[in-house]
This record gives sequence, structure tokens and C-alpha cells, in this order.
Amino acid sequence: MDWKAIANAPWIWIAGFVQAAIGVFQAWYFFRLATRLMEKHGGYHRKDVLAIIRGAVITAIGPIMAEIFVMMALIIAISPGYTFQREGVGVGSVFTELVQVSNAAIGAGQEFGQPSFDLTGFAAAMVVVNVSCIGWSLGAAFFTRYLGRTRDKISGGDPRLLAVISVASTLGIFGYYAASEMKKGGGRPAAVIAGAVLSMLLFKLADWLKIPRLKEWALGIAMFGGMYIAHLLKS
Amino acid sequence: MAPNTEGFVDLPLEPYEKEYLEPVHRVGFWTCIAISIAMFLPALLLFVLYRTVAPWSAILAGMGLALTYAVPFFLIEPISYYPVYGDAGNYMSMTTGNVSNLRLPCAAVAQAVAEVPEGTRKGAVIACIGIAVSVFVGVVGVFLGSLAGGWVTARFPVWLTNAFKTYLLPAVWGAVFGQFALRGPVYAIPALIIAGVPLLLGWKGYFIIPIAVFGTLLLAYALYKWRGIAPSKG
Repeated sequence: MDWKAIANAPWIWIAGFVQAAIGVFQAWYFFRLATRLMEKHGGYHRKDVLAIIRGAVITAIGPIMAEIFVMMALIIAISPGYTFQREGVGVGSVFTELVQVSNAAIGAGQEFGQPSFDLTGFAAAMVVVNVSCIGWSLGAAFFTRYLGRTRDKISGGDPRLLAVISVASTLGIFGYYAASEMKKGGGRPAAVIAGAVLSMLLFKLADWLKIPRLKEWALGIAMFGGMYIAHLLKS
Repeated sequence: MAPNTEGFVDLPLEPYEKEYLEPVHRVGFWTCIAISIAMFLPALLLFVLYRTVAPWSAILAGMGLALTYAVPFFLIEPISYYPVYGDAGNYMSMTTGNVSNLRLPCAAVAQAVAEVPEGTRKGAVIACIGIAVSVFVGVVGVFLGSLAGGWVTARFPVWLTNAFKTYLLPAVWGAVFGQFALRGPVYAIPALIIAGVPLLLGWKGYFIIPIAVFGTLLLAYALYKWRGIAPSKG
């Protein structure tokens, strides 16, 4: 049987739904705990929670649409079922995914994307791509409770130092991602800079004009705006 | 810069730990174990239904290559992202992936909308709401995308498809960087330089990310200890 037909058979969709169900249950349970706690002890009302939800939904749309675009590569190269199984709550990005499938194929003495890639290569890929992600989920299971203790030990409970740690580490990570895109050139530096300037402007405008709802839209507008400005500058 | 906690009242410690953290760890632990087990399901089903199993040599060689790529990130990602999204955020992000491009931006916007500083108890709980919402939207979006994404995106003009593929991600990095640059403007340029120099030297990402995170942290710590500089409320 052709591996491509097997790769889109019901079994793989079922595996995807099992994983997605665990991820959604986890998120739903945490969401319920968090909203209850904020309403009971944080002085938040339903409308405050709704504003947070709106902000997160608006912000999520751009990256998810981008993911769907890149997913097309996986759908074409492997199958829709495989793509849902891996990306539904997939731990890896689509790029990582293609690298890992290629690694698995090499392990099986084949080459992904070439006629040599067959059911054996696909079986190797199914093991490798899934099992190599376990480091993240097992690491979270066993070490999450120690992350907070480590941070509290370092900060000694000083809230200003906690803010220093949070803001500096976030700028460190996103500084890396921003700088690596800028290094690639070809319109990407314009996207990074336009995204940054738009987001700063929108967050500041929300404070200056006292329109807190603008913050819900800020990152969403900044990412689409940055993308569009880079396209205009490059075309 | 003014301290970020001015006028801010955090959640009381006891209900935060008893009513939130304890169940978060309990359910977080078991759901992460469950998802780890579920990762074996595709290979198991492939064997049961089609009697197909990859040779051990192929699996070991493939795993060796795959883990060389992934292992550094097992350590770096949770340590780097935890200060922003807290415990529940870590469980969800390590279960569902797409952390830097999706989960962190949603956590950051949720905190900005709620006007709570990250690194606090309230900040962690609000980030949890933002990330949970991103999981719901993500699962639905990816399911629909797998079914109909090809049909829909084929109708998009070519320039838009190309712009999404090439420019959206850089714009996301820029936008989140900009948001946090407002909170700590003194760290922004040094953060870019600390990451930029090893990038220009052609070092690998899994070396540069810890350098970028801990380099910026060290600088921020020194500024705080010696000059009392801390992030503003933004």
C-alpha cells in the first residue's frame, strides 16, 4: 500500500484528536482555574476576562494563519492527516518538522521527498518526530515546579527584581529572533522594525488616548502592519 | 524608571498557591505524562493496523540526528520563557509548542490588556488565560487549516501568500520586542547587540539564545544593583 494513502487514513486523524483532546483539556482546566481565581481574589469581573480573551484571540489569528500557510508544505509533502496529528498541538514548528522527517529518512537510508522514501521511511519518521518531542513534555512534567522556586531564590522575593528578570529575559529572546531575521535581509529587517515601531506606537497611543481596548489589537495590527509595510518596501 | 509595582496589588499568596498552583501542578504533571504517552500512539497504530515497524537502526540514527537538534531547546526554552508565562503557561507551552511565535505574544497581550506586570502572581494567571485561549484558537485553526487550508489559501493573491511566508514572523518578533522595549528601553539596544554579535560570527542558535537571554539578564541585573534601574509600568 502506498505510504501516502496510509499517511492520511483515519488512524492518524484519531491519533491527532487524542493529542489535541489532551492539550485542549489541559488548557480548559487551567483557563477555568485562572478565571475563577481572578474573579474571586483578583477583583476581576466577567467583562475584564472577556477583554483578555479578545486580546489573545486577535493576537493568535496572525501567527495561526501564518502557521496554516507553512503547513501547506507539510500537507503537500506528507498528508493532511499527518499535518493535523503533528500540528494540532504539535510541539515542533513546521520547519522543525520537515528537518526531523528528513533526519528520520536519513536514518532509514532514504531521502525525504525522493522516490526512495517509502513506508519504512514513513514509519521511522512517525517514531522519530513524535518521540523526539517528548523532551519538552516530560521536562515540563517533572521540572515546572522547580522553575518558580529557582526564580524566587534568585530574586529573593523582590518584585522589582522579578520585573527586571522578566523584561530582560523576554528582550533577550526576542532580541535574538529579531536580530536573526534582520541578518537574513530581503525585506525582513523592514518587517522587524515596522512591527516594533507600530507596536510601541499603538501601546503608547492606548495610554495617551486612554483607550485600553486598543491594547487588545496592538500586537495583531503591528504584526499585519509590519508584514504589509515590508511587502510594500520590497515590491 | 519608575518601579512597575506602583499602585499594583498582587493576588494573595495563600489562595494563589492552594486554589491555583497546586491543581495546576497536579493536572499539568499528568497531562504532560499523558501527551508524552500519546506521542507513541501513531507508531503503535501503524504497527497494529499495518504491521509496519521501522528498523531499530533507522530509529536510532534518526533519533540521534533529531535529538542533536532538539535537546538544547528542551533546557533553554522553559528557563527563558518561564519568567513571563509562569507555571501553567509552561505546562501548556511545552505541550502545545509554537511558544515564541504564538504563546508568548498572547501571554504578553493578555498582561497588557489586564495592565498587570509580568513576573507577578497576577501576571502568571493572566498569561495562563491568554495562552489557554491561544490553544483553543490554535487547535480549531489547525484542524480547519488541515481540512481546507489548501483550498482557501489557493484563492489568496500570490503577494499575500508570499508576504505571510516571508514577513509575518519577523513582524511578530519586532512587535513583541517593541512592546517589551517600552517596558525596559535601556535593555533594548544591548539585547540586540548581545544577540547580534554571535549571529554575525555565524554561531549556532542553541548557543546564541542562552547568551542573548543571560547576557541581557546580567546587564539588567547589574543596572538594577548599581543604579537602581528597573522596568517601568509601560
